[in-house]
Amino acid sequence: MSDAGAEGLTIDAASLPRTMFGYRGLTWWATAGFMLIEGTTLAVLLVCYVYLRRSFTEWPPAPVPLPDLLVPSINLAVLLVTILPMAFARRAAHALDLRGVRLFLSIAVLLSVVAVVLRGFEFDALNVRWDQYAYGSVAWILVGMHATLLVVDLVESAVITTMMFRRDVEQKHYTDVEESALYQFFLSLTWVPVYAMVYLGPRVF
Amino acid sequence: MSTTDVLRGPGEDALAAERRELTATWSGRGGFVGWMASVDHKSIAKRYIVTALAFFALGGAGALTMRLQLARPDNGLLGPDLYNQMFTMHGTTMMFLFAVPIMEAIGLYFVPLMVGTRNVAYPRLNALGYWTYLIGGLFLWGSFFAGSGPDTGWFSYAPLSETLFSPGKRVDIWAQTVTFTEIAALIAAVEIIVTVFKLRAPGMTLNRIPLFVWSMLVTAFMVLFAMSTVATASVMLALDRLVDTHFFRPATGGDALLWQHLFWFFGHPEVYIIFLPATGMVSTVLPAFTRRPVFGYTILVFALLITGFLSFALWVHHMLATGIPHHGSSFYTTASVMIALPSGIQVFCWIATIWTGRPVFRTPLLFVLGFLVLFVLGGLTGVMVAAIPFDLQVHDTYFVVAHFHYVLIGGAVFPLFAAIYYWYPKVTGRMLSERLGRWNFWLLFAGFNLTFFPMHILGLMGMPRRVYTYREALEWGDLNLLATAGALVLALGVALFVLNVVMSLGSGERAADNPWDADTLEWSTASPPPPYNFHPLPGVDGRSPAWSRPEELPRVTGLATGSREMLVTTALDARPDSCNEPPGPTIWPFVTALAVGVTFIGSVFTPWGFVVGMLLLLPPLVAWGWPRGKREETGTSPEAA
Amino acid sequence: MQSALNPGGPQAELIARESGWLLGMGASVFAVTMAALAYAALHRRRAADPQSANPSIARWVAAALALTIAVLLTNVVVDMRTGRALADLPDRARPDALTIEVTGHQWWWEIEYEHADPSRRLTTANELHIPVGRPVKIELRSADVIHSFWVPGLHGKRDLIPGYSRPLWIQADHAGVFRGQCAEFCGDQHANMALLVIATAPADFARWYAAQLLPARAPADAAARVGQRVFLANACVLCHTIRGTPAGGRVAPDLTHLASRRSLAAGTLPNTPPHRRAWVLDPQGIKPGVRMPAMILPARDAEALFAYLDGLQ
Repeated sequence: MSDAGAEGLTIDAASLPRTMFGYRGLTWWATAGFMLIEGTTLAVLLVCYVYLRRSFTEWPPAPVPLPDLLVPSINLAVLLVTILPMAFARRAAHALDLRGVRLFLSIAVLLSVVAVVLRGFEFDALNVRWDQYAYGSVAWILVGMHATLLVVDLVESAVITTMMFRRDVEQKHYTDVEESALYQFFLSLTWVPVYAMVYLGPRVF
Repeated sequence: MSTTDVLRGPGEDALAAERRELTATWSGRGGFVGWMASVDHKSIAKRYIVTALAFFALGGAGALTMRLQLARPDNGLLGPDLYNQMFTMHGTTMMFLFAVPIMEAIGLYFVPLMVGTRNVAYPRLNALGYWTYLIGGLFLWGSFFAGSGPDTGWFSYAPLSETLFSPGKRVDIWAQTVTFTEIAALIAAVEIIVTVFKLRAPGMTLNRIPLFVWSMLVTAFMVLFAMSTVATASVMLALDRLVDTHFFRPATGGDALLWQHLFWFFGHPEVYIIFLPATGMVSTVLPAFTRRPVFGYTILVFALLITGFLSFALWVHHMLATGIPHHGSSFYTTASVMIALPSGIQVFCWIATIWTGRPVFRTPLLFVLGFLVLFVLGGLTGVMVAAIPFDLQVHDTYFVVAHFHYVLIGGAVFPLFAAIYYWYPKVTGRMLSERLGRWNFWLLFAGFNLTFFPMHILGLMGMPRRVYTYREALEWGDLNLLATAGALVLALGVALFVLNVVMSLGSGERAADNPWDADTLEWSTASPPPPYNFHPLPGVDGRSPAWSRPEELPRVTGLATGSREMLVTTALDARPDSCNEPPGPTIWPFVTALAVGVTFIGSVFTPWGFVVGMLLLLPPLVAWGWPRGKREETGTSPEAA
Repeated sequence: MQSALNPGGPQAELIARESGWLLGMGASVFAVTMAALAYAALHRRRAADPQSANPSIARWVAAALALTIAVLLTNVVVDMRTGRALADLPDRARPDALTIEVTGHQWWWEIEYEHADPSRRLTTANELHIPVGRPVKIELRSADVIHSFWVPGLHGKRDLIPGYSRPLWIQADHAGVFRGQCAEFCGDQHANMALLVIATAPADFARWYAAQLLPARAPADAAARVGQRVFLANACVLCHTIRGTPAGGRVAPDLTHLASRRSLAAGTLPNTPPHRRAWVLDPQGIKPGVRMPAMILPARDAEALFAYLDGLQ
């Protein structure tokens, strides 16, 4: 392959690789774009949380009790632990190791199922309905927004996992595994500030 | 002889054979379903452009009826209900359904061509964006014609937009339309960002990216942050209305100003989201008609970046009348004044380009000159309203209406017309009539000033915005009549434009590949471009590749001709890095858009609409993502279909 | 009458002065830029000139840039000085400063004069009387949606936002009528939500105030007495107050001295007997969407009611 930019040269694309992992490929950029969009949305909602807090003297407003900590904390742990099998699945994908991908991806998907189920109980743990004060509304929308992303991710991961169990796995499908992992990291990590704000926040300010 | 033929290939015959095969590979399927399934960026962008122009006409017709109502004091043509719907539809349409979509659409057409690639980065997603936008727009206007047009303004301030003061479905329709169309805008932004970063022609380093592409890139990043914010806000408003949350309800701890913060955090960048692509168009059109590269390329790029950043610091200047604390407001004044600087720099660079060039006074240049006159005026009134005390007088008056029409029509629609006259031959293979073009320009220019200049004075005379009537004793009648007369001239100009576009389509002079002798890559392929855009794929060695001798340009060989392949290059210095196989035509984006439609339209009527829509979304999404066998992938040529 | 160009008080005066500077700045920058553009487009070019053969152009651009920065900085300075002057303007220490609470309703203005002595508090609507030369603090509130208080002859606008209370200081330097109008879109009848500020000499103001404090005049004749009964027996009382009678509704304008006001329905109609008749019989036809329902009354009752209302001086 010759250098680009030199005059009158021919660049031979035939020898270039057909799949690329990470930021050198295209899917990574799409995932990054959607993480940016969804990250902005979550950030905007966190700002709304703080903004609405200013209108109240008590937070949560009486007689609303504080949110429970048990289930949300367990789920925080589950989400953080999911990072591990996903990281292994990603590494296996880089090595085109089909067995490794199948194993770790399956574990990650199972953990995601647990997280989604626990998320249902996390709404209960808020101890407030969405239509009780702006406090309830903003707590619900934060948890709900993240929950929507969680469900979408679960569906996506499940589809990819099913794909990896088919017979004719192509090389480019390994990049899908990587993107799935990347998105999982994003979801797990964004949950930390949301969790802190919604479940710990009322105890702090 | 087309320019592409001059590019050295493996011999003319072989090249022609390869092009035939590429045409088969990259063409869409035939028939109506095939048309719906197209993922070609050019077809989709053309639909986008035509749809956006149709909404422009609708929004303009709405404006005309408002002008007729205001022509005389105490006029009875439109009652308050219809008038309020009209200005809401006008603003919503122009901002959400016309201005942003058409800029992004022209970007979706020309960015791949200007960076020298064969499609956008994610062709199916691109199709989904268009269909989503179309359904959203049809929903809004369908509701209006069914007598349920939103009537709380394009800004829908809470608590007026809450169910307590706006019962019925009107505001829900508005909120869902916004969420809808913003999804489309976000998709287009992602497309443009990745296409620019990853699909540039080899050799197109950052400092060789055409200015229009730069402007679209900066715009796309602004869209990511601004549109995410407004989509979040509109969802919150919809929740307040549909399931009784309290985000913007003061009585239960919500906050009416929160809505304004969220809305203007989007709303101010929005103006620049519309304006920056227009500056890119100006910087693209000027070289061709002044016969020199644009003056100050690097400065212009930095001006774009600075504008992009600063625009997010300005939202509060839409809220000065709410009584923001004084020390806070001086920050916003300074920022508002400072954003004039990059705009000023751009204007100086353009004037310098004309000064040192050899102007060719064709229609596109006329529109650019008109733009400079109107935009400088609108920019200066912008500097004026950035002064807080002055703003407190003119805020929400016709002075501001005049100001932002100078900036948006003068600053964005005039460059848009310049760009359409400039690029029409590339898209259609026909030239627009120059004679009609001149009439078109002068009618628009005269009509525009006649309509909007008097509004400055009306504002200072105390006429507030969004009033459906006014008393004769206030003495606003004559200037309003003048403005209405101007609006009719303006409408005539637009009609002439439509006439020109439609007539030239069939009978316009045939366009050469590069009829203006312009300098960017899109002119180095045929007019209209073939389905595969370029073959061989070009490389570039400077900022004006189409002004280089074709044989001096690098070229790319070795991409498959029997299957779709695109060259992926590195993000910063555009070195060839890998090949990507983009998907071919598919109906699933359309089906997905329908499911998205069910989600949003359904949830206007019941929260279950959301649940049902989400479930409906699953099958198309899975089908979309499901891998296809190799044979199916290649079976996309018309012959195979 | 409703123009920012004819200031009637120190606040509006300051802003008008700033506006003058800004308009001058804008006009001169526009003229210079347009001259440069015209020259750039039309100046004669020698055929032999190579492209971009004007090395001095970069210097011109730099000069223009420097000038722009200077103008912009001057703007910031002018703006901040005006802002500070405005903030410092009201003499808050003056003991005779008047405090008036203005509450925005869809689509009228409730006006309440504060007073330390509750019996000297005064409620009226859509017409704000102020004494010339005295600073007036207006406390702005909203009963429903966002409105904006704007009397261009006296000051810039300030929004009335539910959940917030915002003060605005005004002062009139000479006697006169200043028209104002809601400046934030507030629904169907945003266009017909005007108010009049009537600045009078302090003695006149005091007389007006004393007269307004009185309860409504008793009906003067038999017809008016019937009219009062009609008023009290109908839905009118649910919304309107007439002090001195059992009518005590608070959601619509106080009518105690209705006939003394200059306009009807927040600046929609002049307040003359025929207009009052037209209004009461068909408010929806005159101000579509207004909260007031049409009064369906037998003709005799209606005539009596109008006789009563005409007497509410």
